Amino acid sequence: MSRVREHVASPAAGWTDEPGREVVLSVEGLTKRYGSLVAVDAISLDVRRGETFGMLGPNGAGKTTTLEMIEGLRKPDSGRITLLGLDAVRQRRAVQERIGVQLQSQALWPDLTVDETLRTFRALFRRKVSLEELLGRFALADKRRSLVKNLSGGQRQRLSVATALVNDPEVVFLDEPTTGLDPQARHSFWDLVRDMRRQEKTVMVTTHYMEEAEALCDRVAIMDHGRIMALDTPRQLVRGLAFDNTVECSFAEPVDRERLMALPEVRDARSEDGTHFLFTNDVSATLAGLMGITDDSGQRVQGLQVRTATLEDVFISLTGRRLRD
Amino acid sequence: MGAGAFIQLVVTQATMLRRNVGFWLSSIIMAALSMAVFGWLFNPDTQPFDLALVDEDRTEASQSLMQAFDGLENVELKRGSQEDELESLEGGDRGAVVIVPSGFGADLGEGAASLVVYYDNSNPIRIGYVTSTVDAVVDNYNASVVGQTNAVTVDKQAVDTDNVRFIDFLTPGMVGMMIMWVNLGVGFLLVTWREQGILRRLGVTPLRPGSLIASQAVSFALISLTQTVIILGMGRLVFDVEVAGSYLWLALTVLLGVLAMLSVGYVIASLLKSVTSVNAVINLVAFPMIFLGGSYFPLDTPPVLNPLVNAIPLTHLNDALREVVNHSGGLGDLWLSWTVLAAWIVGGFVLSMRLFRWQ
Repeated sequence: MSRVREHVASPAAGWTDEPGREVVLSVEGLTKRYGSLVAVDAISLDVRRGETFGMLGPNGAGKTTTLEMIEGLRKPDSGRITLLGLDAVRQRRAVQERIGVQLQSQALWPDLTVDETLRTFRALFRRKVSLEELLGRFALADKRRSLVKNLSGGQRQRLSVATALVNDPEVVFLDEPTTGLDPQARHSFWDLVRDMRRQEKTVMVTTHYMEEAEALCDRVAIMDHGRIMALDTPRQLVRGLAFDNTVECSFAEPVDRERLMALPEVRDARSEDGTHFLFTNDVSATLAGLMGITDDSGQRVQGLQVRTATLEDVFISLTGRRLRD
Repeated sequence: MGAGAFIQLVVTQATMLRRNVGFWLSSIIMAALSMAVFGWLFNPDTQPFDLALVDEDRTEASQSLMQAFDGLENVELKRGSQEDELESLEGGDRGAVVIVPSGFGADLGEGAASLVVYYDNSNPIRIGYVTSTVDAVVDNYNASVVGQTNAVTVDKQAVDTDNVRFIDFLTPGMVGMMIMWVNLGVGFLLVTWREQGILRRLGVTPLRPGSLIASQAVSFALISLTQTVIILGMGRLVFDVEVAGSYLWLALTVLLGVLAMLSVGYVIASLLKSVTSVNAVINLVAFPMIFLGGSYFPLDTPPVLNPLVNAIPLTHLNDALREVVNHSGGLGDLWLSWTVLAAWIVGGFVLSMRLFRWQ
């Protein structure tokens, strides 16, 4: 937990929502339906130049669909997307010249070398970063003649990001970039994103890891069922909660939510799959009450965890569900 | 998209195709094996055939010529009237009918006579063998019986395809088959790319589908032209198969074939989602096409199938390749096949551009 707190501190503290900064992406009333399912439900948001903007939510929240509409892969049913001053739907190709995209799957040709892959992607754009610079920045210089299929997972990930930056894009979109990566690869990926930020690039990233959103993002939109449930800096989102701490517990026998709500200082309580989340401002009072339940009824506590409130708790308190298992 | 970018896309795709050895080598091996099997091991040129002898002259000279045909290996001799035998020939039951015309004996007495041979022109498998068999008998007759070269000459009738051996017939058919296999494979390639998310990835760049397809067509054409050179080179070096016609017409025919097969591949890829189903459909399309399109054997299909046979692109690709390679055909011989291939190209590309999806 302590490591997570460190990550929260760095970018959020650095980011000030300067009103002078130009809005590079403006989304208004964006909607996408698949039959009767509303995948994205009239969402609106603004992203400013240089900002790292996160979309946090579980699978199926509509994050990817939102990103794909902005990138020009899917046509919105309604709403407007203004990206870099252009209509992202009607001036799709002009927008695509100036953005960089990493999709959820690492879409690389297994039978090409690193060099050939970068050359091919460079050929698709008018503005190009030099090959040597890309190889250097992504530590791929000694792998330039290796076939993609022979690269390690981390190398492939770096190459995939490099292909998104061949045109020196002003806005970079990263769709669940660290899903399936091991912790070490995930952390080095975070460094790549911080590099982009140093280069004044605007980054929009989706994730279902709250640590990632806390570590990387200036602002986070929490999405669920196609809607934005909350949008602020990670720090403000956590602060906005009516509690500071979460007591996570489970019992041998089922316990009523009402009973937990009645515990001292509990502001709210949520349950998912037998795990209860008690949101409190006074951990010791709540814990004392919890011990009372076990004394009175002979209930046994099976799991107990006390922690400072995080983005995950923001999500739980908004939706009643955890981000992921 | 600039020329440099287009060339890069072509180079990239040609490189990938080249590295995917199984993809282009399997069809070459299939073609080469077929040529080896039919060229050496099982050569239909030397299979027995029926040779009919018709004596209209009924003189001593004509009968001695008839006897010269006795004892030929691989030939079954038939005798009958001119009318009956020519009918049998039309029915496909005779390899050739040798007619000794009346007046033969008298002409030979004066020093020069000729006989007429009617060949089964629809069966190129036998033509070369039949020609050489009859020529050999007559040459032998001239030398040993008459004692004068060219005393008897052979008037070859209904032979506009002189000396097409089976291997000559087969080689262009193998080129057609290779072109079909490799270029239908674009459907497999495209669906693989779609499954791997590569098409989606390209869809978020300024690349236009038309540029992608055009560069793909060029790289597939490069592969197919290379394969064609390899197989025709092997035909030339190993089996003495000559390209009778113009290399320009040959190259144009190959290109039209490439585009026609690509367009079919694109349509298949547009209609289907999974790699396995595309694979199955390509096989389902390809195998009947190889036989109906006459890559291996001359067509002898029931008339019911004619509309189908005449519609499939491989039939016309093979026809055009054989026109150029075997008969040194010109535009007048090629236009029909070219037109049908062009129709496939236009239809296929219009349809697949409409159906094209990045994901």
